[in-house]
Amino acid sequence: MIKKDVAVIGAGMTLFRRRLKETGKELSFLASKMAMEDAGIQKKDLDMVVMGTAPDAFDGIHMKGENLLDGAAGAGKPYVRVFNGGGTGVFAPIAGWWHVASGVADVCLVVAEEKMGSCYPHPQTAFRHIWDPILDRPLNPNLVWLFAMEMNRYMTVHNIKKEDIARVAVKNKRNAVGHPCAQLADPNITVDDVLNSEMMAWPVQRLDISPPSDGAAALIFVSEDVARQYTDNPIWIDGVGWNIDSTMWTNRDLYFPRYVAKAARMAYKMAGISNPRKDIDFAEPYDPFDYKELHHMEGLLLCDKGEAPILTREGVTQRDGDLPICPSGGLLGVGNPIAATMGQKVCELYWQLAGKAGKRQIPGDPRIGVGQAWGDIMQMATVMVMRR
Amino acid sequence: MTFLEKQTDPTAPLHWRGNMQADYLYPNGVAGDKFFKHIMQNDSFLATKCDECGKVLFPPRLYCEDCFIEIPEENWMEVPAEGTVRLFTVAKLNAHGKKLPEPKIMAMIDIDKTDGALLGVIKSNDSERDFTGARVRANLRPKDAREGTLKDIVNWNLI
Ligand SMILES: [Zn+2]
Repeated sequence: MIKKDVAVIGAGMTLFRRRLKETGKELSFLASKMAMEDAGIQKKDLDMVVMGTAPDAFDGIHMKGENLLDGAAGAGKPYVRVFNGGGTGVFAPIAGWWHVASGVADVCLVVAEEKMGSCYPHPQTAFRHIWDPILDRPLNPNLVWLFAMEMNRYMTVHNIKKEDIARVAVKNKRNAVGHPCAQLADPNITVDDVLNSEMMAWPVQRLDISPPSDGAAALIFVSEDVARQYTDNPIWIDGVGWNIDSTMWTNRDLYFPRYVAKAARMAYKMAGISNPRKDIDFAEPYDPFDYKELHHMEGLLLCDKGEAPILTREGVTQRDGDLPICPSGGLLGVGNPIAATMGQKVCELYWQLAGKAGKRQIPGDPRIGVGQAWGDIMQMATVMVMRR
Repeated sequence: MTFLEKQTDPTAPLHWRGNMQADYLYPNGVAGDKFFKHIMQNDSFLATKCDECGKVLFPPRLYCEDCFIEIPEENWMEVPAEGTVRLFTVAKLNAHGKKLPEPKIMAMIDIDKTDGALLGVIKSNDSERDFTGARVRANLRPKDAREGTLKDIVNWNLI
Protein backbone atom coordinates (compact mmCIF):
# COMPACT_ATOMS: atom_id res chain seq x y z
CA MET A 1 0.00 0.00 0.00
CA ILE A 2 2.79 2.45 0.94
CA LYS A 3 5.08 2.50 -2.07
CA LYS A 4 8.02 4.49 -0.75
CA ASP A 5 9.62 5.20 2.59
CA VAL A 6 9.73 8.94 3.26
CA ALA A 7 12.60 10.88 4.82
CA VAL A 8 12.95 14.44 6.12
CA ILE A 9 16.14 16.14 4.94
CA GLY A 10 15.62 19.78 5.90
CA ALA A 11 13.60 22.15 8.08
CA GLY A 12 13.11 25.88 8.55
CA MET A 13 11.21 28.13 10.94
CA THR A 14 10.79 31.90 11.27
CA LEU A 15 10.61 33.95 14.44
CA PHE A 16 7.21 33.65 16.11
CA ARG A 17 5.89 37.10 16.99
CA ARG A 18 2.58 38.93 17.20
CA ARG A 19 1.94 41.35 14.34
CA LEU A 20 5.11 40.76 12.34
CA LYS A 21 5.36 43.28 9.55
CA GLU A 22 5.99 40.60 6.91
CA THR A 23 3.11 39.47 4.71
CA GLY A 24 2.05 35.82 4.85
CA LYS A 25 3.84 35.30 1.53
CA GLU A 26 7.05 36.78 2.91
CA LEU A 27 6.87 34.62 6.05
CA SER A 28 6.32 31.55 3.87
CA PHE A 29 9.31 32.48 1.73
CA LEU A 30 11.62 32.88 4.73
CA ALA A 31 10.70 29.47 6.18
CA SER A 32 10.72 27.70 2.80
CA LYS A 33 14.09 29.14 1.89
CA MET A 34 15.60 28.02 5.21
CA ALA A 35 14.35 24.45 4.73
CA MET A 36 15.53 24.35 1.12
CA GLU A 37 18.99 25.63 2.05
CA ASP A 38 19.17 23.15 4.94
CA ALA A 39 18.37 20.32 2.50
CA GLY A 40 20.46 21.61 -0.41
CA ILE A 41 17.36 21.83 -2.62
CA GLN A 42 16.35 24.43 -5.20
CA LYS A 43 12.89 25.23 -6.51
CA LYS A 44 13.51 23.26 -9.70
CA ASP A 45 14.11 20.12 -7.61
CA LEU A 46 10.66 20.28 -6.00
CA ASP A 47 8.05 17.94 -7.50
CA MET A 48 5.17 19.14 -5.35
CA VAL A 49 4.30 21.61 -2.59
CA VAL A 50 1.86 21.31 0.32
CA MET A 51 0.66 24.37 2.27
CA GLY A 52 -0.97 24.14 5.67
CA THR A 53 -2.71 27.24 6.95
CA ALA A 54 -5.72 27.82 9.22
CA PRO A 55 -9.00 29.67 8.61
CA ASP A 56 -9.16 32.33 5.89
CA ALA A 57 -10.88 34.50 8.48
CA PHE A 58 -7.57 34.96 10.37
CA ASP A 59 -5.87 36.73 7.48
CA GLY A 60 -9.05 38.12 5.94
CA ILE A 61 -8.06 36.61 2.59
CA HIS A 62 -10.36 34.05 1.05
CA MET A 63 -8.47 31.41 -0.95
CA LYS A 64 -5.56 32.12 1.36
CA GLY A 65 -3.69 29.02 0.19
CA GLU A 66 -3.63 30.44 -3.34
CA ASN A 67 -2.56 33.84 -2.05
CA LEU A 68 0.43 32.32 -0.25
CA LEU A 69 1.60 29.99 -2.99
CA ASP A 70 4.21 32.15 -4.71
CA GLY A 71 5.96 32.61 -1.36
CA ALA A 72 5.96 28.85 -0.85
CA ALA A 73 7.72 27.92 -4.12
CA GLY A 74 4.33 26.69 -5.33
CA ALA A 75 3.87 28.84 -8.46
CA GLY A 76 3.81 26.56 -11.47
CA LYS A 77 3.90 23.38 -9.35
CA PRO A 78 1.36 20.79 -8.25
CA TYR A 79 0.29 22.59 -5.06
CA VAL A 80 -2.42 21.95 -2.53
CA ARG A 81 -3.49 23.64 0.68
CA VAL A 82 -4.72 21.47 3.53
CA PHE A 83 -6.50 22.68 6.60
CA ASN A 84 -8.17 21.13 9.61
CA GLY A 85 -7.96 23.78 12.29
CA GLY A 86 -5.46 23.25 15.08
CA GLY A 87 -4.65 19.82 13.68
CA THR A 88 -3.06 21.41 10.59
CA GLY A 89 0.44 21.71 12.06
CA VAL A 90 0.83 17.93 11.87
CA PHE A 91 -1.70 17.31 9.10
CA ALA A 92 0.26 19.38 6.54
CA PRO A 93 3.31 17.12 6.97
CA ILE A 94 1.02 14.07 6.84
CA ALA A 95 -0.18 15.33 3.45
CA GLY A 96 3.44 15.88 2.39
CA TRP A 97 4.20 12.33 3.48
CA TRP A 98 1.44 10.81 1.33
CA HIS A 99 2.56 12.82 -1.71
CA VAL A 100 5.88 10.97 -1.45
CA ALA A 101 4.77 7.65 0.08
CA SER A 102 2.31 7.16 -2.79
CA GLY A 103 5.15 7.39 -5.29
CA VAL A 104 3.82 10.48 -7.11
CA ALA A 105 6.55 12.84 -5.84
CA ASP A 106 10.20 12.27 -4.97
CA VAL A 107 10.70 15.70 -3.41
CA CYS A 108 7.92 17.60 -1.63
CA LEU A 109 8.10 20.91 0.23
CA VAL A 110 5.67 21.33 3.13
CA VAL A 111 5.04 24.88 4.34
CA ALA A 112 2.87 25.93 7.28
CA GLU A 113 2.02 29.60 7.71
CA GLU A 114 -0.19 31.61 10.03
CA LYS A 115 -0.76 35.32 10.35
CA MET A 116 -3.14 35.95 13.21
CA GLY A 117 -2.12 39.55 13.83
CA SER A 118 -4.23 40.83 10.92
CA CYS A 119 -7.55 39.97 12.54
CA TYR A 120 -8.79 42.89 14.57
CA PRO A 121 -9.38 43.31 17.49
CA HIS A 122 -8.45 39.67 18.18
CA PRO A 123 -8.44 36.37 16.23
CA GLN A 124 -10.93 35.07 18.82
CA THR A 125 -13.46 36.97 16.71
CA ALA A 126 -12.91 34.40 13.97
CA PHE A 127 -12.97 31.48 16.41
CA ARG A 128 -16.48 32.44 17.49
CA HIS A 129 -17.80 31.04 14.24
CA ILE A 130 -16.58 27.47 14.65
CA TRP A 131 -19.51 26.76 16.97
CA ASP A 132 -22.82 25.23 16.01
CA PRO A 133 -24.94 28.25 15.04
CA ILE A 134 -28.14 26.83 16.54
CA LEU A 135 -27.07 25.05 19.73
CA ASP A 136 -23.95 26.93 20.93
CA ARG A 137 -23.59 30.39 19.43
CA PRO A 138 -26.71 32.07 20.80
CA LEU A 139 -25.01 31.86 24.25
CA ASN A 140 -21.88 33.58 22.85
CA PRO A 141 -19.28 31.18 24.28
CA ASN A 142 -15.56 31.48 23.49
CA LEU A 143 -12.78 28.92 23.29
CA VAL A 144 -11.27 29.76 26.68
CA TRP A 145 -14.59 28.98 28.36
CA LEU A 146 -14.86 25.72 26.45
CA PHE A 147 -11.36 24.58 27.37
CA ALA A 148 -11.95 25.66 30.96
CA MET A 149 -14.81 23.16 31.10
CA GLU A 150 -12.67 20.40 29.61
CA MET A 151 -9.81 21.20 32.00
CA ASN A 152 -12.19 21.13 34.92
CA ARG A 153 -13.54 17.73 33.85
CA TYR A 154 -9.99 16.33 33.55
CA MET A 155 -9.04 17.70 37.00
CA THR A 156 -12.23 16.41 38.60
CA VAL A 157 -12.06 12.86 37.22
CA HIS A 158 -8.44 12.34 38.30
CA ASN A 159 -8.42 14.64 41.33
CA ILE A 160 -5.59 16.74 39.87
CA LYS A 161 -4.26 19.85 41.63
CA LYS A 162 -3.91 23.05 39.64
CA GLU A 163 -0.26 23.36 40.62
CA ASP A 164 0.50 20.03 38.93
CA ILE A 165 -0.90 21.47 35.71
CA ALA A 166 0.97 24.76 36.14
CA ARG A 167 4.24 22.80 36.16
CA VAL A 168 3.75 22.16 32.44
CA ALA A 169 3.65 25.89 31.64
CA VAL A 170 6.79 26.40 33.74
CA LYS A 171 8.65 23.52 32.05
CA ASN A 172 7.77 24.60 28.52
CA LYS A 173 8.50 28.30 28.97
CA ARG A 174 11.87 27.31 30.42
CA ASN A 175 12.51 24.76 27.65
CA ALA A 176 11.97 27.53 25.09
CA VAL A 177 15.01 29.41 26.39
CA GLY A 178 17.57 29.05 23.61
CA HIS A 179 14.98 28.46 20.89
CA PRO A 180 15.87 31.03 18.22
CA CYS A 181 12.19 31.49 17.25
CA ALA A 182 10.67 31.74 20.74
CA GLN A 183 8.22 34.43 21.76
CA LEU A 184 7.66 33.51 25.42
CA ALA A 185 10.76 31.87 26.82
CA ASP A 186 11.22 32.64 30.49
CA PRO A 187 14.11 31.10 32.45
CA ASN A 188 12.79 32.37 35.79
CA ILE A 189 9.08 31.57 35.68
CA THR A 190 7.70 29.67 38.69
CA VAL A 191 4.59 27.66 39.50
CA ASP A 192 3.47 30.56 41.72
CA ASP A 193 3.66 32.94 38.76
CA VAL A 194 1.20 30.75 36.88
CA LEU A 195 -1.09 30.29 39.90
CA ASN A 196 -1.11 34.03 40.55
CA SER A 197 -1.82 35.07 36.97
CA GLU A 198 -5.18 36.54 35.99
CA MET A 199 -8.16 34.17 36.17
CA MET A 200 -9.79 34.09 32.74
CA ALA A 201 -12.41 31.37 33.14
CA TRP A 202 -11.97 29.11 36.12
CA PRO A 203 -9.70 27.09 36.21
CA VAL A 204 -7.90 28.67 33.23
CA GLN A 205 -5.50 31.49 34.10
CA ARG A 206 -3.53 33.79 31.81
CA LEU A 207 -0.26 31.81 32.01
CA ASP A 208 -2.00 28.48 31.36
CA ILE A 209 -2.44 29.62 27.74
CA SER A 210 -0.18 30.11 24.74
CA PRO A 211 -0.81 33.40 22.92
CA PRO A 212 -1.71 33.97 19.25
CA SER A 213 1.29 34.56 17.05
CA ASP A 214 2.48 35.04 13.46
CA GLY A 215 5.04 32.78 11.81
CA ALA A 216 5.89 30.02 9.37
CA ALA A 217 7.73 26.69 9.26
CA ALA A 218 8.79 24.38 6.43
CA LEU A 219 10.05 20.84 5.82
CA ILE A 220 11.52 18.95 2.86
CA PHE A 221 10.31 15.37 2.37
CA VAL A 222 12.00 12.99 -0.07
CA SER A 223 11.53 9.39 -1.14
CA GLU A 224 13.93 6.62 -0.15
CA ASP A 225 15.12 6.59 -3.79
CA VAL A 226 16.71 10.03 -3.61
CA ALA A 227 17.30 10.61 0.13
CA ARG A 228 20.95 9.55 0.01
CA GLN A 229 21.67 11.97 -2.82
CA TYR A 230 21.02 14.81 -0.41
CA THR A 231 22.16 13.58 2.99
CA ASP A 232 23.92 10.83 4.91
CA ASN A 233 21.61 11.45 7.82
CA PRO A 234 17.96 11.17 6.70
CA ILE A 235 15.28 11.08 9.39
CA TRP A 236 12.45 8.69 8.50
CA ILE A 237 8.71 9.10 8.88
CA ASP A 238 7.62 5.81 10.39
CA GLY A 239 3.94 6.33 10.99
CA VAL A 240 1.10 8.82 10.55
CA GLY A 241 -2.40 8.88 11.99
CA TRP A 242 -5.38 11.16 12.15
CA ASN A 243 -8.87 10.99 13.57
CA ILE A 244 -11.79 13.29 14.22
CA ASP A 245 -14.58 12.89 16.78
CA SER A 246 -18.14 14.22 16.67
CA THR A 247 -18.83 17.96 16.69
CA MET A 248 -21.57 17.17 19.23
CA TRP A 249 -19.04 17.76 21.99
CA THR A 250 -21.70 17.99 24.65
CA ASN A 251 -22.34 14.25 24.22
CA ARG A 252 -18.73 13.13 24.79
CA ASP A 253 -16.82 12.64 28.03
CA LEU A 254 -14.06 15.20 27.74
CA TYR A 255 -11.76 13.78 30.42
CA PHE A 256 -9.97 11.62 27.82
CA PRO A 257 -9.29 12.49 24.13
CA ARG A 258 -10.26 9.16 22.57
CA TYR A 259 -9.76 10.56 19.06
CA VAL A 260 -6.09 11.22 19.93
CA ALA A 261 -5.75 7.59 21.03
CA LYS A 262 -7.28 6.41 17.74
CA ALA A 263 -4.92 8.58 15.70
CA ALA A 264 -1.96 7.41 17.81
CA ARG A 265 -2.86 3.73 17.38
CA MET A 266 -3.05 4.24 13.61
CA ALA A 267 0.42 5.82 13.57
CA TYR A 268 1.95 3.28 15.99
CA LYS A 269 0.60 0.35 13.97
CA MET A 270 2.24 1.74 10.83
CA ALA A 271 5.47 2.34 12.75
CA GLY A 272 5.48 -1.14 14.30
CA ILE A 273 5.32 0.34 17.80
CA SER A 274 3.63 -2.09 20.18
CA ASN A 275 4.61 -0.47 23.46
CA PRO A 276 4.66 3.32 23.04
CA ARG A 277 5.79 3.96 26.63
CA LYS A 278 8.89 1.89 26.06
CA ASP A 279 9.59 2.46 22.38
CA ILE A 280 9.17 6.25 22.16
CA ASP A 281 12.08 8.35 23.40
CA PHE A 282 10.46 11.81 23.43
CA ALA A 283 7.26 13.54 22.39
CA GLU A 284 5.87 16.86 21.21
CA PRO A 285 2.19 16.70 22.17
CA TYR A 286 0.09 19.78 21.32
CA ASP A 287 0.19 22.23 24.24
CA PRO A 288 -1.88 25.36 23.53
CA PHE A 289 -2.95 25.09 27.20
CA ASP A 290 -0.82 23.46 29.89
CA TYR A 291 -3.43 20.80 30.73
CA LYS A 292 -3.55 19.83 27.02
CA GLU A 293 0.02 18.51 27.18
CA LEU A 294 -1.04 16.14 29.98
CA HIS A 295 -4.29 15.23 28.25
CA HIS A 296 -2.41 14.48 25.04
CA MET A 297 0.35 12.44 26.73
CA GLU A 298 -2.47 10.19 27.93
CA GLY A 299 -4.16 10.24 24.51
CA LEU A 300 -0.86 9.31 22.89
CA LEU A 301 -0.75 6.29 25.25
CA LEU A 302 2.56 7.45 26.73
CA CYS A 303 1.15 6.89 30.22
CA ASP A 304 -2.01 5.77 32.00
CA LYS A 305 -5.06 7.98 32.29
CA GLY A 306 -4.44 10.50 35.06
CA GLU A 307 -0.73 9.63 35.29
CA ALA A 308 0.69 12.51 33.21
CA PRO A 309 0.58 15.11 36.04
CA ILE A 310 2.42 12.68 38.30
CA LEU A 311 5.18 12.08 35.73
CA THR A 312 5.45 15.84 35.29
CA ARG A 313 5.74 16.42 39.05
CA GLU A 314 8.45 13.72 39.27
CA GLY A 315 10.52 15.38 36.53
CA VAL A 316 10.16 12.49 34.06
CA THR A 317 9.06 14.90 31.31
CA GLN A 318 11.95 17.34 31.70
CA ARG A 319 14.44 17.55 28.84
CA ASP A 320 16.88 15.36 30.81
CA GLY A 321 14.15 13.08 32.18
CA ASP A 322 13.23 9.57 31.02
CA LEU A 323 10.50 10.83 28.69
CA PRO A 324 11.19 14.41 27.58
CA ILE A 325 7.96 16.18 26.59
CA CYS A 326 7.94 19.36 24.47
CA PRO A 327 11.72 19.85 24.45
CA SER A 328 11.14 22.65 21.90
CA GLY A 329 9.33 24.73 24.52
CA GLY A 330 6.05 23.92 22.80
CA LEU A 331 3.29 26.39 22.05
CA LEU A 332 3.41 27.66 25.64
CA GLY A 333 7.04 28.70 25.30
CA VAL A 334 7.63 29.34 21.62
CA GLY A 335 4.21 30.68 20.54
CA ASN A 336 1.00 29.56 18.88
CA PRO A 337 0.60 30.54 15.22
CA ILE A 338 -1.88 27.66 14.67
CA ALA A 339 -0.65 25.79 11.55
CA ALA A 340 2.92 27.03 11.85
CA THR A 341 3.28 25.11 15.13
CA MET A 342 4.52 22.43 12.74
CA GLY A 343 7.81 24.07 13.78
CA GLN A 344 7.54 22.69 17.34
CA LYS A 345 5.57 19.53 16.62
CA VAL A 346 7.36 18.12 13.56
CA CYS A 347 10.44 20.23 12.71
CA GLU A 348 11.54 19.70 16.32
CA LEU A 349 11.36 15.91 15.88
CA TYR A 350 13.68 16.29 12.89
CA TRP A 351 16.09 18.61 14.71
CA GLN A 352 16.24 16.39 17.80
CA LEU A 353 16.67 13.14 15.83
CA ALA A 354 19.28 14.67 13.53
CA GLY A 355 21.19 16.08 16.50
CA LYS A 356 20.58 19.64 15.28
CA ALA A 357 18.56 20.97 18.23
CA GLY A 358 21.42 23.03 19.65
CA LYS A 359 20.79 24.17 23.22
CA ARG A 360 17.54 22.21 23.22
CA GLN A 361 19.19 18.90 22.33
CA ILE A 362 17.88 15.97 24.40
CA PRO A 363 20.75 14.01 25.97
CA GLY A 364 21.14 10.30 25.28
CA ASP A 365 20.83 10.13 21.51
CA PRO A 366 17.04 9.85 21.02
CA ARG A 367 15.96 7.42 18.29
CA ILE A 368 12.15 7.68 18.03
CA GLY A 369 9.92 10.71 18.57
CA VAL A 370 6.21 11.42 18.21
CA GLY A 371 4.57 14.75 17.40
CA GLN A 372 0.88 15.59 17.63
CA ALA A 373 -1.52 18.43 16.94
CA TRP A 374 -5.10 18.96 17.98
CA GLY A 375 -7.95 21.22 17.11
CA ASP A 376 -11.49 22.19 16.21
CA ILE A 377 -14.10 21.70 18.96
CA MET A 378 -11.90 19.29 20.93
CA GLN A 379 -12.21 16.69 18.21
CA MET A 380 -9.28 16.57 15.75
CA ALA A 381 -6.01 14.71 16.28
CA THR A 382 -3.04 14.37 13.94
CA VAL A 383 0.01 12.25 14.82
CA MET A 384 3.41 11.63 13.23
CA VAL A 385 6.15 9.22 14.35
CA MET A 386 9.72 9.85 13.22
CA ARG A 387 12.85 7.71 13.57
CA ARG A 388 16.56 8.26 13.15
CA MET B 1 -39.21 14.44 2.28
CA THR B 2 -38.88 17.94 3.63
CA PHE B 3 -36.16 18.96 1.21
CA LEU B 4 -38.59 18.73 -1.69
CA GLU B 5 -40.63 21.54 -0.21
CA LYS B 6 -40.00 24.81 -2.03
CA GLN B 7 -39.42 27.85 0.18
CA THR B 8 -39.17 31.37 -1.11
CA ASP B 9 -39.14 33.19 2.25
CA PRO B 10 -35.83 32.53 4.08
CA THR B 11 -37.32 33.80 7.33
CA ALA B 12 -40.20 31.35 7.29
CA PRO B 13 -38.39 28.43 9.02
CA LEU B 14 -37.52 28.97 12.71
CA HIS B 15 -33.99 30.35 12.70
CA TRP B 16 -31.34 32.23 14.62
CA ARG B 17 -29.88 35.37 13.12
CA GLY B 18 -26.11 35.87 13.39
CA ASN B 19 -23.36 37.81 11.68
CA MET B 20 -19.64 37.49 11.18
CA GLN B 21 -17.71 40.40 12.59
CA ALA B 22 -14.07 40.76 11.71
CA ASP B 23 -11.94 43.72 10.77
CA TYR B 24 -8.48 43.46 9.32
CA LEU B 25 -5.24 45.37 9.33
CA TYR B 26 -3.41 44.18 6.24
CA PRO B 27 0.31 44.94 6.52
CA ASN B 28 2.02 46.01 3.30
CA GLY B 29 4.85 43.61 4.09
CA VAL B 30 8.59 44.27 4.04
CA ALA B 31 8.87 44.93 0.29
CA GLY B 32 5.46 46.63 0.17
CA ASP B 33 6.43 48.96 2.99
CA LYS B 34 9.42 50.23 1.06
CA PHE B 35 7.39 50.51 -2.17
CA PHE B 36 4.57 52.57 -0.66
CA LYS B 37 6.85 54.73 1.51
CA HIS B 38 8.68 55.67 -1.67
CA ILE B 39 5.42 56.66 -3.40
CA MET B 40 4.51 58.88 -0.43
CA GLN B 41 7.63 60.97 -1.10
CA ASN B 42 8.15 60.64 -4.86
CA ASP B 43 6.34 60.67 -8.19
CA SER B 44 8.05 57.47 -9.30
CA PHE B 45 7.98 53.78 -8.39
CA LEU B 46 10.47 51.21 -7.06
CA ALA B 47 11.20 47.79 -8.53
CA THR B 48 13.60 44.94 -7.66
CA LYS B 49 15.84 42.99 -10.01
CA CYS B 50 16.46 39.25 -9.81
CA ASP B 51 20.10 38.49 -10.65
CA GLU B 52 19.31 34.88 -11.52
CA CYS B 53 16.70 35.36 -14.29
CA GLY B 54 17.32 39.06 -14.90
CA LYS B 55 13.66 39.99 -14.47
CA VAL B 56 12.80 43.37 -12.98
CA LEU B 57 10.05 42.51 -10.50
CA PHE B 58 7.18 44.96 -10.21
CA PRO B 59 5.62 45.58 -7.76
CA PRO B 60 8.96 45.03 -6.01
CA ARG B 61 9.31 41.76 -4.13
CA LEU B 62 11.61 40.41 -1.43
CA TYR B 63 12.10 37.29 -3.52
CA CYS B 64 11.82 36.05 -7.10
CA GLU B 65 9.00 33.54 -7.19
CA ASP B 66 10.54 31.65 -10.12
CA CYS B 67 14.17 31.40 -8.98
CA PHE B 68 13.14 31.43 -5.30
CA ILE B 69 16.07 33.54 -4.19
CA GLU B 70 16.12 36.59 -1.96
CA ILE B 71 16.65 39.94 -3.70
CA PRO B 72 19.62 41.81 -2.23
CA GLU B 73 19.28 45.37 -0.97
CA GLU B 74 21.38 46.82 -3.84
CA ASN B 75 18.96 45.44 -6.44
CA TRP B 76 16.24 47.98 -5.63
CA MET B 77 15.82 50.56 -8.39
CA GLU B 78 13.71 53.57 -9.26
CA VAL B 79 11.40 53.32 -12.31
CA PRO B 80 9.04 55.89 -13.85
CA ALA B 81 5.37 55.92 -12.84
CA GLU B 82 4.45 55.34 -16.48
CA GLY B 83 3.47 52.42 -18.60
CA THR B 84 1.56 50.89 -21.48
CA VAL B 85 -1.95 49.42 -21.35
CA ARG B 86 -1.72 45.70 -22.03
CA LEU B 87 -5.41 44.85 -21.65
CA PHE B 88 -8.56 46.57 -20.42
CA THR B 89 -12.31 46.44 -19.95
CA VAL B 90 -14.99 49.13 -19.75
CA ALA B 91 -17.36 48.37 -16.87
CA LYS B 92 -20.93 49.63 -17.20
CA LEU B 93 -22.61 47.78 -14.31
CA ASN B 94 -21.43 47.32 -10.72
CA ALA B 95 -21.24 43.97 -8.90
CA HIS B 96 -24.93 44.21 -8.00
CA GLY B 97 -26.01 44.74 -11.61
CA LYS B 98 -26.71 48.48 -11.17
CA LYS B 99 -25.65 50.96 -13.83
CA LEU B 100 -22.52 52.95 -12.94
CA PRO B 101 -22.90 56.75 -13.17
CA GLU B 102 -19.95 56.74 -15.59
CA PRO B 103 -18.26 53.81 -17.34
CA LYS B 104 -15.11 52.68 -15.49
CA ILE B 105 -12.07 51.85 -17.63
CA MET B 106 -10.09 49.19 -15.77
CA ALA B 107 -6.70 48.30 -17.24
CA MET B 108 -3.62 46.17 -16.72
CA ILE B 109 -0.64 48.47 -17.19
CA ASP B 110 2.85 47.22 -18.06
CA ILE B 111 5.18 49.46 -16.05
CA ASP B 112 8.12 50.93 -17.98
CA LYS B 113 11.58 49.40 -17.43
CA THR B 114 10.09 46.43 -15.55
CA ASP B 115 8.69 42.97 -16.25
CA GLY B 116 5.64 43.64 -14.10
CA ALA B 117 2.24 45.28 -14.32
CA LEU B 118 -0.32 46.99 -12.12
CA LEU B 119 -4.11 47.21 -12.13
CA GLY B 120 -5.36 50.77 -12.65
CA VAL B 121 -8.27 52.95 -13.71
CA ILE B 122 -7.82 55.01 -16.90
CA LYS B 123 -9.06 58.59 -16.92
CA SER B 124 -10.74 59.32 -20.27
CA ASN B 125 -13.99 60.81 -21.57
CA ASP B 126 -13.94 58.48 -24.53
CA SER B 127 -14.87 55.06 -23.17
CA GLU B 128 -15.57 53.70 -26.67
CA ARG B 129 -11.95 53.74 -27.92
CA ASP B 130 -9.45 50.88 -27.90
CA PHE B 131 -6.97 51.50 -25.09
CA THR B 132 -4.66 48.61 -25.98
CA GLY B 133 -1.11 49.94 -26.24
CA ALA B 134 -2.06 53.38 -24.88
CA ARG B 135 0.68 55.20 -22.99
CA VAL B 136 -0.33 56.26 -19.46
CA ARG B 137 1.12 58.07 -16.46
CA ALA B 138 0.06 57.64 -12.81
CA ASN B 139 -2.03 60.50 -11.44
CA LEU B 140 -0.95 60.57 -7.80
CA ARG B 141 -2.67 62.31 -4.91
CA PRO B 142 -1.07 65.55 -3.70
CA LYS B 143 1.99 64.59 -1.65
CA ASP B 144 0.55 65.75 1.66
CA ALA B 145 -2.54 63.57 1.13
CA ARG B 146 -0.69 60.31 0.39
CA GLU B 147 -1.24 57.48 2.87
CA GLY B 148 0.99 54.68 1.63
CA THR B 149 -1.69 52.56 -0.03
CA LEU B 150 -2.69 51.77 -3.61
CA LYS B 151 -5.28 54.54 -3.32
CA ASP B 152 -2.45 57.09 -3.58
CA ILE B 153 -2.69 56.39 -7.32
CA VAL B 154 -5.98 58.16 -8.09
CA ASN B 155 -6.06 56.96 -11.72
CA TRP B 156 -3.93 56.96 -14.89
CA ASN B 157 -3.79 59.78 -17.43
CA LEU B 158 -3.28 59.18 -21.14
CA ILE B 159 -0.02 60.74 -22.39
ZN1 LIG C 1 14.43 35.21 -10.90
